[in-house]
Amino acid sequence: MSYVFDLERSAAGLRLNRFLHSLGNQESRKRFLEKPEEAMLGLSEQEKDMVRRLDWKAMQDYGASFFCLEKLGRAKGVSNPQMVAAFRGETLEEFLKTRRVPGAR
Amino acid sequence: MARIIGGIGTSHVPTIGMAFDKGKQDDPDWKPLFKGYEPVRKWLAEKKPDVLFFCFNDHATTFFFDHYPTFALGVSERYAIADEGLGPRKIPPLEGHAGLARHIARSLVEDEFDISVFQDQPLDHGLHSPLTMMWPTQPDWPGRVVPLVVNVIQHPLPKPGRCYRLGKAIRKAIEAYPEDLKVAMVGTGGLSHQMIGERAGFNNEQWDLEFLELIERDPERLAAMKIEDFARLGGNEGAEVIMWLIMRGALAPKVRKVHQNYYLPMTTAMAVAVFE
Repeated sequence: MSYVFDLERSAAGLRLNRFLHSLGNQESRKRFLEKPEEAMLGLSEQEKDMVRRLDWKAMQDYGASFFCLEKLGRAKGVSNPQMVAAFRGETLEEFLKTRRVPGAR
Repeated sequence: MARIIGGIGTSHVPTIGMAFDKGKQDDPDWKPLFKGYEPVRKWLAEKKPDVLFFCFNDHATTFFFDHYPTFALGVSERYAIADEGLGPRKIPPLEGHAGLARHIARSLVEDEFDISVFQDQPLDHGLHSPLTMMWPTQPDWPGRVVPLVVNVIQHPLPKPGRCYRLGKAIRKAIEAYPEDLKVAMVGTGGLSHQMIGERAGFNNEQWDLEFLELIERDPERLAAMKIEDFARLGGNEGAEVIMWLIMRGALAPKVRKVHQNYYLPMTTAMAVAVFE
């Protein structure tokens, strides 16, 4: 398998994933959108940097679960096809060209 | 006594729920999907099951990696709709059949399936993105649910064969419940897709169609496969189709597939099938 979210990755990404997971909560999400630096206080500099830049690929490689990244995606208005394109190293437009129904998103 | 009247296999892609919420029934990009669920909706309206037993996964919404259960059975009277980053969907909370669920929990543990139980937790799109395509939400849900949450997102995942045998134990439990109830099994997930890694965007239509044949005619063969086989053939996230094996294990050895629809618009192959 090319990429597996296993216990090693889960341990490495636990703090970041806990933050991402918290964005499923309306109050945490509001605080993050209004005062991101305050909401990210518990994260390391590297983690904050990846979140600020919405660097999906870097967060994935670091140990973020795709399903926790989805919470950040929804909070910031980024769709799953945009995230998948980032993992593939493509723009959204390039990725959509490989899909059968590009409008279904 | 309670009895199982059939089963449904369905994808649980979040956009299925979003397309429903945005009323995209007549949008040409979504119409083939809605059309594919019409016979399922009709089947449920005619058969009128009292309970849908849902085998699905949580997406790090209700459960988090600080304590991630392999199999967790909901035993509540009611489940709220979870917030997954956009606020909860505007659909009624789910009614649970607590009596049946508690009976199943006892029966499974007696059968040495040492599952976790949970109550008073919100449920995510894994259950209700397909549900709104199949059951009316107005004036309220026409029946109750029993939710079984399966870990398919953090390895190690349960073995496919274990899922199949768990389905058999669920059948035994349901058939031993004294109340006269009609239960339909629902297995969710898939079909082929991969959201992560270099192979993100992977699909395999040929394997999907083969899977849809095997789940009807030869589930034992699927149950004998390894999780790595499912991931290789259907994508890492596509391996979640092992949850269809729980549904299938709870049906009679011989079943008839009375409906099937397959639609692959974007990243995930969206399939639905009904078995009697």
